[in-house]
Amino acid sequence: MTITGEIRGPDRPPRGPARRWRITSLEVLCAVLLLALVFQDRLVRLLDVPQLRTASTVFVAVCVQAMPFLVLGTLVSGAIAAFVSPNVLRRLLPGNTALAVPVAGIAGVALPGCECASVPVAKRLMQQGVAPAAALSFLLAAPAVNPIVLVSTAVAFRDAPMMMPARFVGSLLTAVVMGWLWTRFGHAGWIAERALRALPERTGESRWAVFAETARHDLVQAGGFLVLGGVVAAAFGVLVPVSWLETLSGQIVLAVVVMALLAVILALCSEADAFVAVSMTALPLLPRLVFLVVGPAVDVKLIALQAGAFGRSFAARFVPATFVVAVLCAVGSGLVFLGGAA
Amino acid sequence: MRRETQNILLVLFGGALLKLALTGTYLRYVKPALQPWLVLTGVVMVLLAVVAIGRDLVTSRTGAAPPAGDHDDHGDHGGHGGSRSPWLLLLPVLAVFLISPPALGADTVSRSADSNTNRSEGAAARFAPLPGGDVVPMTVTDFVTRTAWDDSGSLDGRTVRLVGFVVRQDGVTHVARLVIACCAADASPVKVRLDGAGVDALVVDEWIEVTGEAVPGSATEETGYVPTFRVERVVPTAAPETPYEF
Repeated sequence: MTITGEIRGPDRPPRGPARRWRITSLEVLCAVLLLALVFQDRLVRLLDVPQLRTASTVFVAVCVQAMPFLVLGTLVSGAIAAFVSPNVLRRLLPGNTALAVPVAGIAGVALPGCECASVPVAKRLMQQGVAPAAALSFLLAAPAVNPIVLVSTAVAFRDAPMMMPARFVGSLLTAVVMGWLWTRFGHAGWIAERALRALPERTGESRWAVFAETARHDLVQAGGFLVLGGVVAAAFGVLVPVSWLETLSGQIVLAVVVMALLAVILALCSEADAFVAVSMTALPLLPRLVFLVVGPAVDVKLIALQAGAFGRSFAARFVPATFVVAVLCAVGSGLVFLGGAA
Repeated sequence: MRRETQNILLVLFGGALLKLALTGTYLRYVKPALQPWLVLTGVVMVLLAVVAIGRDLVTSRTGAAPPAGDHDDHGDHGGHGGSRSPWLLLLPVLAVFLISPPALGADTVSRSADSNTNRSEGAAARFAPLPGGDVVPMTVTDFVTRTAWDDSGSLDGRTVRLVGFVVRQDGVTHVARLVIACCAADASPVKVRLDGAGVDALVVDEWIEVTGEAVPGSATEETGYVPTFRVERVVPTAAPETPYEF
């Protein structure tokens, strides 16, 4: 995110005539590791408070749980960069952006994973010439409409079978509406230039080398942001007492708003959120549906990943808009599918 | 951040995932089904780093030849070569290798609502008959579900054995387990109120094996579906390999 800061950094040490030993990130890493090892006992004792223990467990859990999906996403991203030419993509998607948006949204069914996988893929699609609106529609749809998420929703809500279609329609609608909004109002300048710049032509390099290098690079970049999201999610998980949810049962509007915010800060995996939502029995179905639709579209983990991939200026506009659209789509879908039960 | 540092971080992170998956520690954080994926992810991360290191070595050895790989890297990194975000990868590495956070326990339970989530609301669930024998081992989840929803009285007069950790909330002692769907971030507690001599002396977060009987009709809406358990015997036990129920 800080783009220029460190480039200038290494120039500061005085340059003698002879090759001087410079402090690079490699030495810093060694020093940090060494210090951590030396002060391990003290570190462990410092964290030996129930809240901090819980938070550190949740933090590691979020990272460990999400990493396979992020790696899958970066491998797909690498494969697109290496093996799928922009021409192929152009032929697959309708030329008309307004039409390409829903097609890209439905294509999200094909990427089984949670939201971490879709960010690197969407970024790569943009670099390969897919219209940003379509790529963003894919980004929002993929984590919520894929078969694994739908099945786990149906399993969790055995007693409310309309929850699954309500979630599917609410999420797909969110993705398509956001895609169309971007087509109408979006501005390519909001997206960090690096996210749109096509990869340089790699002559004389094998496709496998391109694949490995792209995947590695995406993984290093996105991984850091995933960890950031994990830290925030763990902190909120400890700081926000979920027990007061029960007091909301009578106030449907407040419950919708609170559940939408909760979805953002808890940053649950979209394959697991249905099981959490089903356990919140004190609340009616509608706020729980909002939780399920907002979660995969906007959460702290995703915000960090998006800011990393597309820049802060993009995230500052896209995230609030998605939040509002997702809440509205969820409520609309809920009123249609859940009706009186909501 | 330099490429070399990035690669080292990748190796460390991949190594951390492999360590968790192969030593069984991963069960503190995620569900068992994730194990093969964690191994695969760890291997892929290490491989991507090793391939990059290998290619860098080859290009540096061939020396003056205009190294396509190196050049491409600069092209690719140019815009955000100074990005500091990869440093964050170090956090989970340190957490796994140095701190190794324990499985969630009593702290998470006392943070949640003082009731059991009512999992089969409205479902006229049909319960299979309990196995024979003097003592029936059950998961806390099964026990709670049966006390709340099984009207056939299958638990009446049966001695049950539960394994869980001790939780004390408002002076009441419970035996509890955490249920996860995917990872520890979505853990929700199930608990059983303990009733008997000596339960107040139990140490919070200690794992115990309790034998006893359910008090019929104790898991109602008023008690938040937390059944009461008349304790006959309590034995401290080691934490199970799989700390969560599913």
